[in-house]
Amino acid sequence: MLNKQFHRDQFPGLHQEVNGKPLVYLDNAATAQRPQMVLDAINDYYINHNANIHRGVHSLSESATDLYENARKSLAKLLNAPSEKDLIFVRGCTEAVNLVAQTFVRSRVSKGDEILISHLEHHSNIVPWQLLCEQTGAVLKVIPMNDAGELCVDQLDDLLTEKTKFMSVVHVSNALGTINPVKEVVTKAHAKGVPVMLDGAQATPHLKVDVQDLDCDFYTVSGHKMYGPTGSGVLFGKAEHLNAMPPYHGGGEMISKVTFESTVYNAVPAKFEAGTPNIAGGIGLGAAAEFMMSIGMENIEQRDAELRVYAEQALAKVPGLRMLGTAKHKSPVFSFNIEGIHAHDIGTIIDHHGVAVRTGHHCTMPIFEYFGVAGSCRASFAFYNTEQDVDILVESLLKAIEMFK
Amino acid sequence: MTDLSKLYKQTILEHNRNPRNYGRPDHWTHHSEGLNAICGDLVHVYLTIEGDVISAINYDGESCAISMASASMMTEFIKGRAVDDALSKFELFCQLMAKGSDIQRIDALEDVNNLITVKKFPSRIKSATLCWHAMAAAIKGQPTATTE
Ligand SMILES: Cc1ncc(COP(=O)(O)O)c(C=O)c1O
Repeated sequence: MLNKQFHRDQFPGLHQEVNGKPLVYLDNAATAQRPQMVLDAINDYYINHNANIHRGVHSLSESATDLYENARKSLAKLLNAPSEKDLIFVRGCTEAVNLVAQTFVRSRVSKGDEILISHLEHHSNIVPWQLLCEQTGAVLKVIPMNDAGELCVDQLDDLLTEKTKFMSVVHVSNALGTINPVKEVVTKAHAKGVPVMLDGAQATPHLKVDVQDLDCDFYTVSGHKMYGPTGSGVLFGKAEHLNAMPPYHGGGEMISKVTFESTVYNAVPAKFEAGTPNIAGGIGLGAAAEFMMSIGMENIEQRDAELRVYAEQALAKVPGLRMLGTAKHKSPVFSFNIEGIHAHDIGTIIDHHGVAVRTGHHCTMPIFEYFGVAGSCRASFAFYNTEQDVDILVESLLKAIEMFK
Repeated sequence: MTDLSKLYKQTILEHNRNPRNYGRPDHWTHHSEGLNAICGDLVHVYLTIEGDVISAINYDGESCAISMASASMMTEFIKGRAVDDALSKFELFCQLMAKGSDIQRIDALEDVNNLITVKKFPSRIKSATLCWHAMAAAIKGQPTATTE
């Protein structure tokens, strides 16, 4: 059950003043606020269970290990992964993409082979592939988008060729909010034998994600976007892939035996988790997953839809506002420009009214090149935002317009 | 009046409505492009240097009102100055705008001091300094400049 006021009150960061005004936090796509439960879990680890994991016989190490592994289980449940062993703790989506590029895809491509991404990708799902292409001579291909900011899925059959060796597509666009039809995308790719990774950075905070139903080969999760700690995240991979992949980093914890001649690697997921991990981060992320499940992802989806409709209607009344991204299926993310006022000026002016939005290209420069603008103002909502937040946003935009008159 | 309305109303908007020396000229001897990758601000500065005097200075680009107004003010202030003088004024402007410094005014910068309110919005200081970096880079023969 989502109890609007109760669950909003769980986020201490929301209850503060900025520039003398109550904070209206609409930069959730950049990073979300964290609930008390996550903060408590982090504190509890540092205060009551502080020890390194997987390597001590002493009690604290044991309980720290349990907390960390339980967090992995919570995340497996959130994503409906077949087993928690299919989840690798990472720093975030960026690391997850790089890991897959280097340990799964690199050995599968040679000169002239193709890797397919989409026009809607975040730079973190573009640059690692460009690096890989430089290393291997592979070629990056892009699924186009239409004027509404929707993926041109109809072109997929032509873009998937016998040269295509891998596809990586964003589930929900951080810049436009577009929810891509990823299940259909996966089906089409698999029909041509192409493995698929989905970038779930913006999906897990908003949607019920079922990696088995999606049948994706890899799925990336960014902890800080889903109410968890910064520098935390997980990569889901199908067990058959993870078992076959070489390690990404070498070091402690990922080995079962080391001599100077050779090393025997530990089993998955330890094979991919060299060194002391972000223990508190993983535990905090597990708490975030539990928090979201306690609300229920269906309830979060429903609240998102309410806020989206309300905000869409309210923003439509702002004179001179041009909305970028008008996909039929979208999450409550609004990218817009106002005629005659640069996005940064809007950002500064509405910050003065306590409204936090992001301005710029949101690490998706190709999207803005498509629309022929340098960037936008982006208001991105979470379930804890309110209709009043929308009203204050609109009022502050009207004040900015007034100022520039 | 709040700092914000002061910043926009008194200084910035006036220059936005009546930009001085705006637009790409037909001829120039020195040019640099200022790019603030994080914000996406882009300013081109075009100089004509005759002997050691900047006889003409123009700008254009695509960026926020603060950045555009700063460029407009800069061109007014720099036009007709010797190259060495322009570079020393650039140094002074950097000192004036340095994040965290207490300097509120540098007399030698005359009307440019009106930009001082920008310092109250630290995230926007780079918008104000971008064109100055581009101007200095153009003099030094560097094709691009950033504030990073
Ligand atoms: C769609 C998308 N993918 C990837 C990332 C990068 O995620 P992380 O910050 O976890 O590396 C982001 C974050 O901005 C994002 O929005």
